[in-house]
Amino acid sequence: MDKIVTIAINDLRVFLKDRSNIIFLTLVPLVMTFIIGYVNGGGFGGASSQLRVDLLDNDNSELSAQFIASLKEANSSLMLCPADNDENDGCNLGDNAGLTREQAEQRVRDGDTLALIEIPAGFGVAVESFQPVSLSYVSNEDFTAPGFIRQAVDAAALRVNGAIVAARVGTDVAGQIEGITLDAGGQADFTQQVYDRAAGIWAANPVSVAYELTAQQESSTGEINLQSGLAQSVPGMGSMFVMFTVFGGMTLLVIERKQWTLQRLVSLPVSRAQLIAGKILSRFLLGILQFAVVIAMGFLMGVNFGKDPLAFILIVLTYTLSITALSFALGTQLQNEEQASGLSLLLSLALAPLGGAWWPLDIVPEFMRTIGHISPVAWAMDGFNQLAFFQGGLGDVLLPVGVLLAMSVVFFAIAVSRFKYE
Amino acid sequence: MTNLVEVRGLVKTFKRRDGTEVRAVRGINLDIAQGEVFSLLGPNGAGKTTTISMISGLLSPTQGDATIGGFSITKQPMQAKKLLGVVPQEIALYPTLTARQNLDFFGKMAGLGGKELAKSVDEVLDFIDLKDRQNDRIDTFSGGMKRRVNIGVGLLHKPQLVYMDEPTVGIDPQSRRRILDTVVQLRDEYRMTVLYTTHLMEEAQELSNRVGIIDHGEIIALGTVGDLIQQIGEEDRLIFSVGEQDIDNGLLQQFEAIAGITKVTYQSRELNVAPGLEDSAELVIEKKSTGTMMAVRSGQVMDGEIVVYAKRGRKALPELLRLADDAGVNIFSVEVREPDLEAVFLHLTGRALRD
Ligand SMILES: Nc1ncnc2c1ncn2[C@@H]1O[C@H](COP(=O)(O)OP(=O)(O)OP(=O)(O)O)[C@@H](O)[C@H]1O
Ligand SMILES: [Mg+2]
Repeated sequence: MDKIVTIAINDLRVFLKDRSNIIFLTLVPLVMTFIIGYVNGGGFGGASSQLRVDLLDNDNSELSAQFIASLKEANSSLMLCPADNDENDGCNLGDNAGLTREQAEQRVRDGDTLALIEIPAGFGVAVESFQPVSLSYVSNEDFTAPGFIRQAVDAAALRVNGAIVAARVGTDVAGQIEGITLDAGGQADFTQQVYDRAAGIWAANPVSVAYELTAQQESSTGEINLQSGLAQSVPGMGSMFVMFTVFGGMTLLVIERKQWTLQRLVSLPVSRAQLIAGKILSRFLLGILQFAVVIAMGFLMGVNFGKDPLAFILIVLTYTLSITALSFALGTQLQNEEQASGLSLLLSLALAPLGGAWWPLDIVPEFMRTIGHISPVAWAMDGFNQLAFFQGGLGDVLLPVGVLLAMSVVFFAIAVSRFKYE
Repeated sequence: MTNLVEVRGLVKTFKRRDGTEVRAVRGINLDIAQGEVFSLLGPNGAGKTTTISMISGLLSPTQGDATIGGFSITKQPMQAKKLLGVVPQEIALYPTLTARQNLDFFGKMAGLGGKELAKSVDEVLDFIDLKDRQNDRIDTFSGGMKRRVNIGVGLLHKPQLVYMDEPTVGIDPQSRRRILDTVVQLRDEYRMTVLYTTHLMEEAQELSNRVGIIDHGEIIALGTVGDLIQQIGEEDRLIFSVGEQDIDNGLLQQFEAIAGITKVTYQSRELNVAPGLEDSAELVIEKKSTGTMMAVRSGQVMDGEIVVYAKRGRKALPELLRLADDAGVNIFSVEVREPDLEAVFLHLTGRALRD
């Protein structure tokens, strides 16, 4: 074990002695993350760390307020304009302080906002009296309209429905209870009654959401909040740079063979297993270091990674492990540096976009999303998105984490069976 | 004397990409005694590194086995490696780390730790005389200094057997002298056994208790330097430098007629001018025989050498010089070479050790 750690520490030391490595570890990811974040977010939109969405409340009732509150609970990053506008005009309303439906639709089309949600007048009354009522949801059909906002609207609608159901059942039941004492049989009967009533109300589903898509806009010149882009691009770039760094380790192995230090190690009383384990550990630690650098940058820029650090760390660890294992499965056979750096670049640049590191997989066709999941990046991004956009927790990332672990095991098995010094 | 190393029937066959085979080592048997310097002497590509790589566990033998201190390199590699210190042909160091960092790391890998490691590193730094440069990066070192660190790393765990693969390649004479002294010091002061490979006859001759001459993957002669030379008879070579003079065949025949002389040859080289320069009237080049600069013409004969093979050649020297004088040939220098390993190799293979 000592020797394994010694090898790993030595490798890290060698790696960090090289200035270009340090630049690659820090500066390059910083720049790339900003660029990709900018592209995905549509531009820099001030310092606010929220997703800008227009919300027209034509009802102004207690229930519509409740709906809006649920919406914010479903995704705390939403900035609902014009209500949430701040002194810096984070909503970018300019002269349109009293936003009309037409103006709002134009804002969606121009890419000024991610979506428009309209609560119709009479929403509260309709819900209370159990009349079906529809919310309107308008968004662009391109990547500036991430699925997570829609999800939040759905979730809010569901919650309002749930609340209504509970309220109705409660009142109904209370009315019945008066003056009644229940025996055992009656109790069961009563429970059944409550259930039937609730199910009936639920099925009526008073609040529904009507989705509309505006025609796709060629160029969205408007400023959309950078933060939504960054919440995607920071983990995305982190994932990609972990690949650059870890796959870059393949080059290091070739260099070590060329500069004979690998051969020297082999001639020392170090077992093959120790040697491989040490090399793997060092690459893994480098990968983690790389991820940490990118994430730290994200934090400094105020990016919201979700509320479950443990789940987040778990994804980082398993993802980095799988990439490390993959690099060893492939890297043991390489003959020279050119091959190694070529393969490293090719793999990183293929697996990153395939797995949704450059743009959310939500925007690609279904089959591409499926194919994309051969890339460990896709599983990691699934996990990160659960945390950042759906307020998910540990339970929501178990699948990606499990898959990443399984990938690691398979890749390691291949690596160990193929490692050679000759 | 007990044998520290026993090599039995070692074979290594490499497969090329195109499917053909390279039989780099073709069945080598060797015993190396405790406390001796054993040299493996052979030309480039003879199979020295391949043999050593198998003994040090870097390559697995296609056939055969070797033991170090009784431990098989194929079956008990860890025990065998503990007795072995390796000085590879290449500078096997991390160029961006300091000398001390390199020594520390490889020392730990050799199984040292704590105070023992620090002491060992200090001793080695003293030994290779680089204590004052210990905290400088390897890539700031001169070639000779790198070589010394390369050797030092192999000595850290005080191995019984030190194997050095052409440690003097590509360095200046002063550093080279130092390394050769080190080898002798390791044997005489530290009681280590040294397995030394070289393609330089002088080194093998100077250092070794015994020499194995290797060619095309086989040991073609083995023994002390004296033994090997005796095998080919004791013939001296007298080498006369005659520069750019034309040498008449008659003179060579006169030489050959002298008693005790077995063979006379004459070699020279003709100055070949690079294409396009043929018309330049005169070129200035360095004269090999004297080291001075001289003006020459294309096609001119240069660096002529008459080589005379003779038993007890010194005796014939006055007569040879007189004949040359009579023929009006100027002799710029004479060198008497007693029989050496070069001659042994020439005798055994018909080729020179160096091209
Ligand atoms: N990995 C390899 N694959 C194929 N052929 C090899 C390999 N390693 C060595 N050889 C061949 O085996 C032969 C012996 O090589 P080796 O390196 O042992 O020679 P050497 O005696 O150490 O020469 P030098 O004095 O140049 O170091 C050469 O013909 C070489 O080309
Ligand atoms: Mg060699």
